[in-house]
Amino acid sequence: MKKASIIVLVLLGTVAMLFAQAAKEQAVSEVPVEFSMYYSDNATLPFKDSWLTVQETAKIANATVHYEAIPIADYSTKVSLALNTQTNAPDVILYQTTAGENQSLALNGAIVPISDYSEWTPNFNAMVEKYNMQSDINKIRLGDGKYYYLPSLTDVPFYDGGIILRQDYLEKKGLAAPKTYDDLYKILKAYKADNPTSYPLTILAGPRVLYRMTMPAFGVSLGRNGSGGSRVLSWDYEKLEFFEGAISEEFKAYISFFAKLYKEGLLDPEMAEPIDGGTWSRKMATGASMATWAYYDQIGGVTAASEIEGFKLQMYPALEGPAGAHHQQKNRLGSGIMFPTKTTKRSDFEQIVRAVDKMFFSEECSKIWCIGVKGVTYTEENGKIKYSDEIMNASEGIYKYMQLAYGCGSDVTQMVWVNAREMTKYDENYAAINAAVEAIGDVIQYIPPTPKFDDLKAEEAGMLLTPLADKFEVWCDAFLTGKKSIDKDWDTYVKEMKSIGIEKFCTLYNANL
Amino acid sequence: MIFKEKRNETLQIRLRSPLQRHLFRYWQLYLMMILPFFYFILFKYIPMFGNILAFRRYRPGLGPFGTEWVGLRYFKMFFKDPAFWRAFRNTLTLSVLNIVFTFPLPIIFAIMLNELRSRNFKKIVQTISYMPRFISTVVVIAILSEILSPSSGLLNRFLVDVMHKTPTYFMNDPQYFRPIYIFSGAWQFTGWTAIIYLASITGINSELYEAAEIDGANRFQQIWNVTLPSILPTIMVMLILEVGRLLSLGFEKVLLMYTPANSEVSDIIDTLVYRTGLANQNYSYATAIGLFSGIIGLILVSSANRISRSLTGDGIY
Amino acid sequence: MAKVKDTSISSRIFDVMIWLVMAFMLIICVVPFVYMIALSLSSAKAIINGKVSFWPVELNLEAYSKIFTYPNFFRAYGNTIFYTVVGTAIALVMTILFAYPLSKSYLKGHGFFTKVVIFSMYFSGGLIPNYLLISSIGLTGTRWAIILPFAISQFNLIILINFFKALPTEIEEAALIDGIGYFGILPRIILPLSTAAIATIGLYYAVFFWNDWFNGLIYLNTPQYPVMLFLRNIVNGTMVVGNASSASADTAMLGISTKSAVIITSTLPIIILYPFLQKYFVKGLTVGSVKG
Repeated sequence: MKKASIIVLVLLGTVAMLFAQAAKEQAVSEVPVEFSMYYSDNATLPFKDSWLTVQETAKIANATVHYEAIPIADYSTKVSLALNTQTNAPDVILYQTTAGENQSLALNGAIVPISDYSEWTPNFNAMVEKYNMQSDINKIRLGDGKYYYLPSLTDVPFYDGGIILRQDYLEKKGLAAPKTYDDLYKILKAYKADNPTSYPLTILAGPRVLYRMTMPAFGVSLGRNGSGGSRVLSWDYEKLEFFEGAISEEFKAYISFFAKLYKEGLLDPEMAEPIDGGTWSRKMATGASMATWAYYDQIGGVTAASEIEGFKLQMYPALEGPAGAHHQQKNRLGSGIMFPTKTTKRSDFEQIVRAVDKMFFSEECSKIWCIGVKGVTYTEENGKIKYSDEIMNASEGIYKYMQLAYGCGSDVTQMVWVNAREMTKYDENYAAINAAVEAIGDVIQYIPPTPKFDDLKAEEAGMLLTPLADKFEVWCDAFLTGKKSIDKDWDTYVKEMKSIGIEKFCTLYNANL
Repeated sequence: MIFKEKRNETLQIRLRSPLQRHLFRYWQLYLMMILPFFYFILFKYIPMFGNILAFRRYRPGLGPFGTEWVGLRYFKMFFKDPAFWRAFRNTLTLSVLNIVFTFPLPIIFAIMLNELRSRNFKKIVQTISYMPRFISTVVVIAILSEILSPSSGLLNRFLVDVMHKTPTYFMNDPQYFRPIYIFSGAWQFTGWTAIIYLASITGINSELYEAAEIDGANRFQQIWNVTLPSILPTIMVMLILEVGRLLSLGFEKVLLMYTPANSEVSDIIDTLVYRTGLANQNYSYATAIGLFSGIIGLILVSSANRISRSLTGDGIY
Repeated sequence: MAKVKDTSISSRIFDVMIWLVMAFMLIICVVPFVYMIALSLSSAKAIINGKVSFWPVELNLEAYSKIFTYPNFFRAYGNTIFYTVVGTAIALVMTILFAYPLSKSYLKGHGFFTKVVIFSMYFSGGLIPNYLLISSIGLTGTRWAIILPFAISQFNLIILINFFKALPTEIEEAALIDGIGYFGILPRIILPLSTAAIATIGLYYAVFFWNDWFNGLIYLNTPQYPVMLFLRNIVNGTMVVGNASSASADTAMLGISTKSAVIITSTLPIIILYPFLQKYFVKGLTVGSVKG
């Protein structure tokens, strides 16, 4: 009994202390503007309040910002609840678009139509003008002609991932760098002949990275993680409308190519489950595979770990397929900043918007988010940026180190991405690849537009989409792995897709552009 | 003490009606219930009004209880959907197999543990066997993929090197989906669930064993005639609860094991709801399916309870 | 239960069999942990080259130091301990208070109350109604938001009712005649008799509060987050986010050693709890000892 009462006392004491602590945390300092903001926190780049970027930009905007770092895996849940209920919503939400549910939320009045307050976002407007993005901005306008978030702006999209091969192998065998998918096939074939137990081409994170990086070269963009959300439709860049990509000849050619690789043991069959980074790295590092589609930042770690002599991975420009040399589609606008309607009720709403605009889009601050503070992280001579020795000598590389140490270059907070400035953070090799990609031209096409659905149309589309996407996935896998024959079963597949309304779905999309 | 008793008696005589007498005798028990009962009303029953969404259209941002009455629209939607019925069948099959294979394991394990002579060994086994419960599902699936990997997995290496067979891609083969699901579940939860049975065994009067021993019962007979009957009520309660949960397998594990190739057996109600309802923000649809599953669950649990009562005289209510 | 005096051959064989089965169980349960401990202590290079099995290769503590330097890691850990201790204490009190009366089938309304419990197992309100309720009673953003709404689990309640039902009624009746009311009987007679059951559901509650990340996520603010939320993000961040088509999601790879270290740090304290509770399973008071 005595023991129990002591425990209770201790518990009560703890509770009291915690409350006192909470009260202290709520004590506010008196500053011109103060607001709370949701921040999507990635485990590989954990948010720090003390980051130079965070401190400096707040100082410049004369704002006290309460960053709420929310784990990225659950970010959308938290945001969705805040917007749906408007209770306990923050004043500002980072890393949002008006795709999916947000489109309905916006049209139903849960999100501030920020285009109505354009005079309060002078810095954003100036950047849009500077990089000539007016037409891109028009793409994010919803059915009512308004846009509901301040997107991040990229002048030229980067080629940050692509086909990655063992350069040392190519050199050893005297093989030229691949230009087309047929070239790749020959390389894989050669490697298989030398290493019969290997699967030369492996994939990262399930087939999704493979599909979305390779399909555009064949003229389609499909699947759960295709750019754009239609999953079974693709965009015709000439006619400017959607077509039934999942049952098109283009897709047939695409899947035939990879089915051939699969059949000949060139493509890693372990692709159904999400292969995680660890397994992927092991396969590459040990020579179980020699080719993959992945991201440039991932090369370094594998190269450092491999014990194969002369091991070297290299990323190559996008390969040419039947539809040309294309890579994953990208937009010049990315996720951006959103205001829940609740914030308009604050008397200092204008100040908040102005502070946010300054913090993220002003010339001065957008530079800080990218390369830090002059004199601390870099010096500038004749317009050339020179990073501090500490950064230059970091073992993680400039980019990664600046992220971790200063919070620079995070896609959550950096809103203006200027290709030339970005390249200063990478090695020459990366810059050279990007230059080569730019020289090819039109490698990175724009993401198909999102149809302007209201929530009722969205429900209708959603009901059609799920069975279509399910069926597509099953058939895609069956064709790839040879469980179904592309020659014999294709017509059955097309008929089935039509019977569950792929044409109706396509019409619905095209009617709401 | 006798005095006290007398006073009680006189009081009871004064309270004429049976209800008054009942309350007088048991008021303390009723008082105990007030707070928990209030808890149930507040935290479990008030939010239940949210189920009205199954009959009303939910529109994001326009209030939590929907905007207009649509009747059985969402019910018709999934009743007409062949994917729903496939998911319904898959859910039932997987659940029933799961109960058949994994339900007895913790009971057998607890009994065996109880028969161990070495107390230290028993403690170690007990602690270790409960550890897998703490490995998150994602990691369990990752470990499984590793062991079952066709290229580097232990099992396939054994099959190829020792048995001279071709490697099998277990995680992607519909045929192996259910066994993998069930075995990994058994591995994770046997030790954990056994705790309840161990607690139940602890409560058995040791005189019963002594009596059985005097009657010349061997150890197996003691288990059969003393241990099992003594924990039978607990077994029945667990079984009834388990039957009531037939339709709710939880989606995380299946979602992680789901591949297009095994979808014909791995698509269950919870994953369907996740894809159709939640991923498309169709909350009304998800609510309607939830309501339907709830009704089925309630029917199952009450039938199981009735059967149990008629067979063993015990149930959960 | 040191009751077995049987030393016959069949009994010995029986012992050996049990011993073998238990040893098998032990191995299959402990191997993954050994493997993960080995991974968490090995270098990334050794792991990538597939050299690690059950013993750390190129021993180092980098993975652990990485976790411990996460901002607010220790505060989050403290939060979790607080939620687990307070949550379990409250849940036990509430559950016992309900289970005891409900184990008395002679109470009027007994059937009704039990049905109230069971019905609520099958119809929950869904996320948004729950969120609105918790907000409207002012719990959101306070630590109580993830404790009070989870004070009773119907499953644990039913288990406990069932245990209480199995207790002998004679002592209770004797106590009643002695004029000790139910308020006295519950702590003085019933609870000491059911330590094993209470330890069981206490453990179940503790594990629930320990592992719960979802409610912490939706009802709390960053400084109050439980540690599981961070750890979950580290372990399955990439898999869950995988639905997005953004590069950052697919490149967000953390070494498998970090993941393993995360699993070890987040499960060890709760695993250690069990051996302390085991005495209740061995010592559980028998009816005879109370009678005497």
